[in-house]
Amino acid sequence: MANLVQEIEAQIAGAKAAAARQSVGVIREIGDGVAKVEGLDDVMLNEMLDFGQGITGLALSLEETEVGVIVLGDYTQLAEGDEVRATGKLLQVPVGKGLLGRVVNTLGEPLDGKGPISSELAYPVEKLAPGIIRRRPVGQPVQTGIMLVDAMIPIGRGQRELIIGDRSTGKTTICIDTIISQARLNAAAAAAGDASYRPLYSIYVAIGQKQSTIARIIGVLEEAGAMPYTIILASPASDSATSQYLAPFAGAAMGEWFMDHGMDALIVYDDLSKHAVAYRQVSLVLKRPSGREAYPGDVFYLHSRLLERAARVGEKYGNGSLTALPIIETQSGDVSAYIPTNVISITDGQIFLETDLFYQGVRPAISVGISVSRVGSAAQLKAMKQVAGQLKGDLAQFRELAAFAQFGSELDAATQAKIDRGKRVVELFKQGQYSPIQVEVQVGVIWAVQNGYVDDVPVERIKEFQTEWTEFLTTRKAAVLQKIAQERALSPDLIAELKAAADQFKQTWKK
Amino acid sequence: MKATRKTRRAARRLFRVCQVDGRPDAERVRLVTQRVAGSGRRGTLAILGDFSRLARLDRDGHRAIVESATPLPDGLRINLLRDLARVYGQGLETSFEVNPRLIGGMRIRVGSDVYDASVRAKLAALEARL
Repeated sequence: MANLVQEIEAQIAGAKAAAARQSVGVIREIGDGVAKVEGLDDVMLNEMLDFGQGITGLALSLEETEVGVIVLGDYTQLAEGDEVRATGKLLQVPVGKGLLGRVVNTLGEPLDGKGPISSELAYPVEKLAPGIIRRRPVGQPVQTGIMLVDAMIPIGRGQRELIIGDRSTGKTTICIDTIISQARLNAAAAAAGDASYRPLYSIYVAIGQKQSTIARIIGVLEEAGAMPYTIILASPASDSATSQYLAPFAGAAMGEWFMDHGMDALIVYDDLSKHAVAYRQVSLVLKRPSGREAYPGDVFYLHSRLLERAARVGEKYGNGSLTALPIIETQSGDVSAYIPTNVISITDGQIFLETDLFYQGVRPAISVGISVSRVGSAAQLKAMKQVAGQLKGDLAQFRELAAFAQFGSELDAATQAKIDRGKRVVELFKQGQYSPIQVEVQVGVIWAVQNGYVDDVPVERIKEFQTEWTEFLTTRKAAVLQKIAQERALSPDLIAELKAAADQFKQTWKK
Repeated sequence: MKATRKTRRAARRLFRVCQVDGRPDAERVRLVTQRVAGSGRRGTLAILGDFSRLARLDRDGHRAIVESATPLPDGLRINLLRDLARVYGQGLETSFEVNPRLIGGMRIRVGSDVYDASVRAKLAALEARL
């Protein structure tokens, strides 16, 4: 025992209280979520700073004698003269499958009261986008379940497709529909034990939105059973501008984890207009020089570096993908404003929603003429390409002719036929919210339209025809639908089967 | 008058003029302060405010504050001065202060560098970890 005591005493005598060097600064000025800190000589750009009391900051501008820091948390608890410590770590958020089904804030902390997040891994919020060598062309489709989008503005996995339109035109609904569609496809593939199907996980980033709107979206996703495949990152309007500015980057980091691990993910940024406004606020408080519409000079880089992180990577690099659906809200349909033009030029196409169409009852209110998808057609299902190839041109022609026909002049038979077909196609593409349609059903319906099976159906009964034809296909001709899904193209045999089914249906259809 | 980019630039230039061998010369600093204060020009106060801030930051960067819970023995002080000179070079102005709030151990601050081996810091770290 005596020896043991001596040993302990010797240990105590030899013990050294080592202290590592820490870089510390002092708050010189604080307000609006931004602090100016003196000291912090060795701090890195985008380094996390510890303000104490569980409050974190991010070094955003390094100046000669001070550091501009954005505070993530309640900055009202901080005061001039308080100490700030550098952590030596870049801002990072938890990533992984543990986040699926959860609602988190910008820092990845849970907001849903379902306990801590089971994630060991963290990714930096700011990360360089995959380079040229790592990328491969977009080749697999994202089935949105919205017939008009899947037929005419197809989106591929790894694409960046902008959803743009005025307020209340159904921008968010398109994205929520897409998320629900993915969840249903994932669940169906899992139930069927289809190992070849690559599930698509969704991340919904809400930036500067009302808490009630976010709660409603969560409710819709829960009701549709989409939450197990979805992460919600909420930075509502009550969050500081700094949190709102970082939210899409944190969401992108969570999506990148799926991409890096050979999985596919879809990220919705709702919306980047509010994000640009939050960044403008942060920049102005940091006293950065302002440019057009008082946005800072690097607002283009802000969105380009964010959206460049969406990619499809090669097989050597995991074969994963991150598809981005950014949303931009326009004012009175003005797409030539600063932020809309920026984001239009960054993305691989846009879906433009019009207020007029919305109030005419054409929902989704997608303006086909100026909506494009620059890379998605390569990813489109061949069967869909076969039936919908001419549709966009036909519809554009119809809009032109319909405007002309308003003058009441007499029309020749060919023009009248085009207008009649166009009216039916427009009616067909009307689709209720949160009710995505399977792609094989879409092919069957569009095939019937293209082959004149609806020409004698009155316009006001088109939806009825569509519902019954869909029901007929799914209940009595399920084998044909299954073949379309398996073969992914319309072979002559399949077309003959479809024709036989359509003829049979037409006999039973009550005129 | 509020500090502007122009006044900050002027203060920086004046501060550079006062440097001799990389450190501000006391005589020059005094002279510049007197001349600027006496010039009666617009923005004088803002320039002097920035100038004094630069002088303060420079002084803090060359000043070591050693805090301990109890007064340090002379031998330890000499060792500390020698070690600090080795790391930060000669010309470091060192002051020793007694701060019972540290409970035990020592805390050294040189500019923005802090070496905190106090019991209080360790307890705070333990609290954060728990």
